[in-house]
Amino acid sequence: MADSSFPFDCVLIANRGEIAVRIIGTLRKLGLRSVVVYHEVDARAPAVALADQAIAISGRTPVAAYLDGEQIIAAARSAGAGALHPGYGFLSENAAFARSVEAAGIAFIGPSADAIELMGDKIRARNFVARNEFPVAPSAIEEEDPATFVERARAIGAPLLVKPSAGGGGKGMRIVRDLSGLDDAVAQARSEGQRYFGDGRLYIERFVEQPRHIEVQVLGDAFGNVVHLFERECSVQRRFQKIIEETPSPALSAQTRQKICETAAGIARAAGYRNAGTVEFIYGRGEFYFLEMNTRLQVEHPVTEMITGLDLVAEQIAVAAGRRLPFAQGDVRAHGHAIEARLYAEAPERNFSPTTGKVLALRYPQGEGVRVDSGIAQGQTITTAFDPMLAKIVVHATTRDEAIARARRAIEEFVLLGCETNAAFLARILGDQGFKAGEVHTGYLDENPGIARGGSRDTDAETRLLALAALLTRPVRDAADAVPPLHASLGSWRN
Amino acid sequence: MHHRFDLDGEINELWLSRGPAGYHLQIADGWSGSVALIEERAGHGRLVVDGKSEQVAYVVDGDVVHIHCRGRAYAVRYVDPLLALASASDEAGHNVARAPMPGVVVSVKVTLGDTVAAGAVLMVIESMKLETPIRAPQDGVIERIHVRDGESFDRDAVLATLSQGNG
Repeated sequence: MADSSFPFDCVLIANRGEIAVRIIGTLRKLGLRSVVVYHEVDARAPAVALADQAIAISGRTPVAAYLDGEQIIAAARSAGAGALHPGYGFLSENAAFARSVEAAGIAFIGPSADAIELMGDKIRARNFVARNEFPVAPSAIEEEDPATFVERARAIGAPLLVKPSAGGGGKGMRIVRDLSGLDDAVAQARSEGQRYFGDGRLYIERFVEQPRHIEVQVLGDAFGNVVHLFERECSVQRRFQKIIEETPSPALSAQTRQKICETAAGIARAAGYRNAGTVEFIYGRGEFYFLEMNTRLQVEHPVTEMITGLDLVAEQIAVAAGRRLPFAQGDVRAHGHAIEARLYAEAPERNFSPTTGKVLALRYPQGEGVRVDSGIAQGQTITTAFDPMLAKIVVHATTRDEAIARARRAIEEFVLLGCETNAAFLARILGDQGFKAGEVHTGYLDENPGIARGGSRDTDAETRLLALAALLTRPVRDAADAVPPLHASLGSWRN
Repeated sequence: MHHRFDLDGEINELWLSRGPAGYHLQIADGWSGSVALIEERAGHGRLVVDGKSEQVAYVVDGDVVHIHCRGRAYAVRYVDPLLALASASDEAGHNVARAPMPGVVVSVKVTLGDTVAAGAVLMVIESMKLETPIRAPQDGVIERIHVRDGESFDRDAVLATLSQGNG
C-alpha cells in the first residue's frame, strides 16, 4: 500500500546485514523506495539484491566505508533520498553525523543530535537521570570531594564495587562484600588504576549481585508524546555481547514491570526524546538502576514487535515524517512470550573463536510464530570483516515454555552449511535447566562454562555422520563400486 | 585399506563395500551395518542406517562433506591418502606457524632469511578485536611468509614457514 503522505519517497539505509534487509522490508510495505550503500565485500549480500538501488562505497577497511558519513550523505543526495535510516552500530549513535544528515536536508530517522549527545556521555546521562529523580546506582565519586570519599562510600553500604575512574574492561575493579575490607580494596584499586591507566582516581558504586540486564523500549514523537513498549530481558550474554533476549522478563513481578517501564518512559519524556530508544537497567533483588540509554533501534527489537504487533521501523519512519504517535500508552497491549536467539559465526566450543566460510546451503525454519531476520544469502562468503552476527531467530508463543520449545525447534531446523555457527550452543542454552527456570544473570554463562563447551557426541550420531560422509565421498564410493559385489562372485561359484 | 575421515579433529577409519542389498559400512572401532542414502532433491534426503531412516541435508565441498543432521551442522573431512602423504613429506624439515583462528595481519615482524628462536614473535594478528602475537613454533630460519600486512586469513592457514637451519 503506497502512502503518498510521507514528506519523502526514498530512504537511504546506512547499514548492512540483517538490519538493512529488515528496514527494506518495511520500506516496501510503506511504498517507499529503498537505497542501500555497500562495500564491495557485501556485493553478494541480500540487502544489495533486495534494495531498489545499491550504491557502492569504499574505505580503507570495509568497516571504515560504513563509518564514512560524508560518502554516505553524498550517496543519499545522489539517490534523491529524503530520509536516512542508520540502523544500529556504525553511525547510528554519532551526533555529528545526525547533524550533518539534517544539515543536508535529509531527515534522520532517529532522535535529535542533542539527545544522542546527552545519552552518549555516560556520566552526563547518569547525572541527568539522577537529577530527574529516577534511580541510578548509589555511588561515590572521589573527585567530587576526595577527603570524604571513603566515608561517603561506606555510607552506601555493602556490597560495593570499587573501580578506577579512568578504567574499562574490568581492570582494577574490586567487589567489597564486607566493609572492613573497604580500605584495602581502595588502596589496591588505586594502585592498579595507576598501573593500568596512569590514573589512581576511583569511583565506588553499589554492586548488584547476580545482575540481570533488563531494558525498556520507548517511542516518542516530536510533540512530546512518549510511550513504552514493555521490557526485554537480555541477561544471557557474554562479555557484553547479548546472545538470547526475551520478553516479558521472567524476573519481574507485574508491579515491578510497570514501575521499570514507567521509569523508562519518564526518563525519555524528561529528555524530550523523539523516535525509538531503549533505556537499559541493571536489576537485582527487586531493585533496578539506570545503566544507559541507547538512542537507536536495538538488534533485539523484534521480540517487542512480536508481543505488541507493532512494526517499530514503520513507527520510526512515521515519527521522522513528523507524525504524531497513533496510539497512547493505554492502547499498547502485549500478548504472549517472544524469544530471540542470535546466530553468530563463532565456535563457543573453541573459546568463541570466530569462524569463516562460504554459505553452501541455507534453509530457514518455517511455521507459525517463527521469524528469521537474516543478512546472509547462499553463495555469500562470511569473513571476519564485520560483527559476527549472521541472523536472528525470533519466535512467539502463548507461554514462555512454549516459546522456548519453539525457539529450540527453529534453531534445529535452521540449515546453514559451509560456515560453523553457535547454533548448537543456542540450543544448549535453551535446554539448560537454569535458563528454563528463568534464573539467569549476566555472569551466568561464565559461571557455567559447560554450556559453551558442550557434551561429547554420541557414537550413534557419529556413525550416521561417517556413513553419510562415506556415501558422498567419491573415492570411497568408487572403491566400493569397483569391487565386484559379493553376490556376483557367489553366483558364478554356484554355477 | 581403510578410508580416513576427520571429524572434529579425530581421525576415523572406515571401509565401504557393496553387497547384494546395497552398501555396507565397516567402521574401524567395530561397528558395521547397512547404509543407504535416498536423495529426495539436491542436497536433501533420507539416510538409512541399519534400516533406521532420518532426514539429512548435505553439501560436498572438495574433500569436506557438510552435514545437517539431528538439528546440528557438522563438517566431516575426507583425508585423501595421496595428499596426506604429500603434505607429510612437504612438511618434513619444515615447520609452519598456523593461524589459531581467522583474522587479519596487523604487522609482520620478520623478513625472509631471519634466524629466529622458538617463541619469537613472527607477526601480530587481529581477531575478535584483540591483537595476538604469532610465535615461532621452534628455532629456525624464515623461509616463507605467506601473508602481508592487512591480509585476512582463515583458521589453520599457514602464515609462515621456517626451515630448521643447519645449527
